[in-house]
Amino acid sequence: MHRVSHFFKDLHKNLPILLMVLPGAIGFILFSYLPMGGTLLSFKQYRYNGEGFISSFLSSDWVGLRNFKFLFGTNDAYIITRNTLLYNAAFIILGTFAAIAMAILLSEIVNKRLSKLYQTGMFLPHFMSYVIVGFFVYSFLNMDKGLLNSILERFDLQTVSWYTTPKYWPYILTLTNLWKTIGYSSVVYLAAITGFDRSLYEAAMIDGASKWRQIRNITLPLLKPLIIIMTLLAVGRIFYADFGLFYNIPRDSGALYPVTNVIDTYVYRGLKTTGEMGMTAAAGLYQSIVGFILVVTSNYVVRRIDKDSSLF
Amino acid sequence: MAANIKKSRDIHSLSPFMNIVFNVIAAMFSLVCVFPFAFVVILSFTDEKSLAQHGYRLIPEKWSTYAYEYMFQNGAQLLQSYGVTITVTVVGTLLSVMIIALYAYGISRSSFKYRGFFSFLALFTMLFNGGLVPTFIVVTQVLHLKDTIWALILPMMMNAFNIMIMRTFFKSLPDGIIESAKIDGATEFQIFRKVVLPLSLPGLATIGLFCTLAYWNDWFNALLYIDNPNLVPLQSMLMRIESSMSFILQNSNTSGLGSLAASLPQETSRMAMVVLATGPIVLAYPFFQRFFIQGLTVGSLKE
Amino acid sequence: MKKSSRLSLILVLVLAFTAILSACGGAKKEGSAGTAGNQEAKKDVELIWYNIGTPQKDTDLVMAEVSKYTSEKIGVTVKMKQIDFGDYTQKMQVLTQSGEQMDILFTASWGFDYVQNARKGAFMELNDLLDQYGQGIKDTLDPAFLEGSKVDGKNYGIPANKELPAQDVWRFNKQWLDKYNLDITGVRSMESLEPLLKTIKDNEPNVVPFMIDRNFIPNLPYDYIIQNLPLAVKLDTTDYKIVNILETPELKEALKTMRKYYQAGYIASEVATTTDNSDLTLTGNWFMDRPTTQPFADNLWTASLGYPVVSTPATDAIIYNWSVMGSLQAISANSEHPVEAMKFLNLLNTDPYLRNLVDSGIEGVHYEKIGDNVAKNLDKSRDYDMPTFAIGNIMLTYLQEGDPEDKWEGFREFNEAGTPAPLLGFNFDSSNVSAELAALTNAKDQFWAPLMTGSVDPDKYTPMAIEQLKAAGLDNVMAEAQRQLDEWLAAQK
Repeated sequence: MHRVSHFFKDLHKNLPILLMVLPGAIGFILFSYLPMGGTLLSFKQYRYNGEGFISSFLSSDWVGLRNFKFLFGTNDAYIITRNTLLYNAAFIILGTFAAIAMAILLSEIVNKRLSKLYQTGMFLPHFMSYVIVGFFVYSFLNMDKGLLNSILERFDLQTVSWYTTPKYWPYILTLTNLWKTIGYSSVVYLAAITGFDRSLYEAAMIDGASKWRQIRNITLPLLKPLIIIMTLLAVGRIFYADFGLFYNIPRDSGALYPVTNVIDTYVYRGLKTTGEMGMTAAAGLYQSIVGFILVVTSNYVVRRIDKDSSLF
Repeated sequence: MAANIKKSRDIHSLSPFMNIVFNVIAAMFSLVCVFPFAFVVILSFTDEKSLAQHGYRLIPEKWSTYAYEYMFQNGAQLLQSYGVTITVTVVGTLLSVMIIALYAYGISRSSFKYRGFFSFLALFTMLFNGGLVPTFIVVTQVLHLKDTIWALILPMMMNAFNIMIMRTFFKSLPDGIIESAKIDGATEFQIFRKVVLPLSLPGLATIGLFCTLAYWNDWFNALLYIDNPNLVPLQSMLMRIESSMSFILQNSNTSGLGSLAASLPQETSRMAMVVLATGPIVLAYPFFQRFFIQGLTVGSLKE
Repeated sequence: MKKSSRLSLILVLVLAFTAILSACGGAKKEGSAGTAGNQEAKKDVELIWYNIGTPQKDTDLVMAEVSKYTSEKIGVTVKMKQIDFGDYTQKMQVLTQSGEQMDILFTASWGFDYVQNARKGAFMELNDLLDQYGQGIKDTLDPAFLEGSKVDGKNYGIPANKELPAQDVWRFNKQWLDKYNLDITGVRSMESLEPLLKTIKDNEPNVVPFMIDRNFIPNLPYDYIIQNLPLAVKLDTTDYKIVNILETPELKEALKTMRKYYQAGYIASEVATTTDNSDLTLTGNWFMDRPTTQPFADNLWTASLGYPVVSTPATDAIIYNWSVMGSLQAISANSEHPVEAMKFLNLLNTDPYLRNLVDSGIEGVHYEKIGDNVAKNLDKSRDYDMPTFAIGNIMLTYLQEGDPEDKWEGFREFNEAGTPAPLLGFNFDSSNVSAELAALTNAKDQFWAPLMTGSVDPDKYTPMAIEQLKAAGLDNVMAEAQRQLDEWLAAQK
């Protein structure tokens, strides 16, 4: 009894904010939680019986963990896991670093008009699909007519068959990814920096702090919570690879698979012949669980160091 | 003289030398980013045959507007699709920013008892999802949104990523402001509207920008939920042309599709599609930039 | 304490939510059920028909006309929904998996996979319906169609009456043949092409002598168990033993030739990543390629390319599973009107008026007749342009201006001349080995295109490929396929 009354007291006290969160919570429940039951498909061999999804779902056979087998059963398992993790780790580290650097740089440029012009320019790659970017990379790297090979030729250097030489591709893919994402991700940091309280800088200025010191002692510490959040969020997606980047940029060239095959491309290739719905669901669940474990762990670490910056 | 110049310089700013260095770096990178896009525009005005013959050229042998003529053959459809896209983007962004801001504000308040739960509720959706078919069933069979404009808006309305960004922005506001407003007798909603929101413009602009881009670029929801040609947004229409084109080319040998291959739009048309689809939204970016104004300080608003 | 209040909060939320949901859902359902019940007795049955192809402006207009006719004849009206080529497979997968209401739908070996989805239960079994309401179909179709499109002994789709076998040809760009006075009469094997290719290579540096893309596979006298996986039986097999195609002497020989051609520069150097050669076909800077033919194909190609081409056979005309399943109409497993759907399909495949209405639109609006059996497109045909091969019996359709008068006669002859492949009617069921198949596809994709196009040295890469395929579980799949094949053979007897 006491508990219940306590609960309603709490509820009443928090009611205004509860009402604020409510629309969003309903949105999440409808469009994210309600469909989540579909995760169970990863343990089924889904077959239709002509009477709608629920009924078909119930009448399909349970197959235990069989749908997960294709992710672990082969030599490729190691390669795709390694590639996915390493590339994403590189993207997170380099991407965060570059985005922050670019944001600080843009915020410090004296002529604000120019700064805005640069910003707009950096945003353009975000609008180009990887299919189109793939055309451009190809026009650079193509064996006979490619720009890069004609330059090499002019300097009497050995030309390279780019699309069959794996060793260059970690760099090509990383550069392409950075090129495409820096403009977009620096916006968040830029917005945060412009929101900072100017009086802090003025105080530092009066103390005679140099620009570098201001950046190190004011800007970066103030950015810390945002950097942590962005990194934690990225860590949660570390097992998801950008399909367009890893499929379209290397033109699905077989010789490059050892360095370009990631979980998402592997699943795509593997399931295009059979189209098993349960296996698609299994791959998604696997990616989710790994991401979940990583986020919870790193969130725990963050909590120990700085409670306020943690995600939950 | 030199001393004079130095004095008149804003004390905030960089040394002239560093300013030049920063400018050069930013300008170079920005150029690298703009270049391919400019190239796309040029290619879209290149004559198809001369493109096939000579490959990508900065100055084409022969200019042509054929690609645009091809795209505008369906002029009415194109306009209609622009209309759908703009409606979805504007309504979706407004709705989304509003709900996300409310939600993020709630979970940013340390006095809110259930903030841990609701943070987790949001975050969990970033990590787990039910997959295509269950989502499709909820949208079509539970909510009956098929072939309505809401099918393009509502499924994308909530986004945990944006919520977390916004929460961080709210958290960085000094606690004192909210407390003092409370002492002045303001209700939670009043505090949110009159004190918190004005201070969070850069953050709101950021997620507003992200929402705008997400709605503008979305084609997948339309593929799933829209059959009525009057409700097909721009990106979806262009994606449909693009994916059908590559499908027909890849299968033309093993099916009856061969005869269709000849009537397909060519590479220049693809480039024209990119220009048509991204041109307008690129122009929207400066609008958001207005909110990233330096010096929007807590102090100045307090007065 | 803290935990319990959190739990109750979840409970409250969930309860409130289900209440809202059930209220919305329930209300809607009752409404629709009520109206349907009232009208069913009198009104025609409406068939929902999903078709592949770019959505057309006038589809509803034409379907209204179709409905007028079918309402009178068999008491149905038709609503057609079109999904564009590139989206068809994915969208139909979502629609069928989620149980969307539909009656008739397009399926093929290359789009919304017929065999796979038949096995998953997406289509209704048609044998009884065919016997009762589809007699017309049985009379008009070459029996090989219905026989070859059986899945596990049952029919799940009505194949379109069109070309039955598949035959590859060497197709030549005539301007280069004429320029160098080249003769193609003796050409048949891949080796026999060499002198021609050499002439072009030596004299026309800007022309690609042998235009192929990454999907190219040299013609081999084998029938594949699954398209593009290296398991096959010989075309003239008697023991039906499945072999790994990479270990056959025929492939070794063919790859040696491909490698030679690649190194000689007859093949474009980036061929292993090329998916589309439209820049070459547009400019005419190619000498020869190898498409799949059909009767009078040279005319068709010449018209669509805009310059003359000629062709000569590269293989025999052989009836494969995939060529039989090039275009089918199936009845959805959740159809509430299977009988009416079959009646409609029967009419579509036998009634020239209906077939041409669906195909070319309304006479006088979208086309006009300029002969007994010949139609000419009007300007409005742009608003109603359908993929003819996808919507039933093509031999009922009007000829277009310039078509040979004996066009359909040619098709019939072509179909009769085809010889059945050994695996015709056998469809591998992959559900027991789907994990291996996923690994296998990845392993295969890694080297397939470079090897088949001659981009890499076959002596070095073939053994590597074989080893990797084995590691991915090729032997398992082969054993499973052999088991199924033996069972099928025993059942045939």
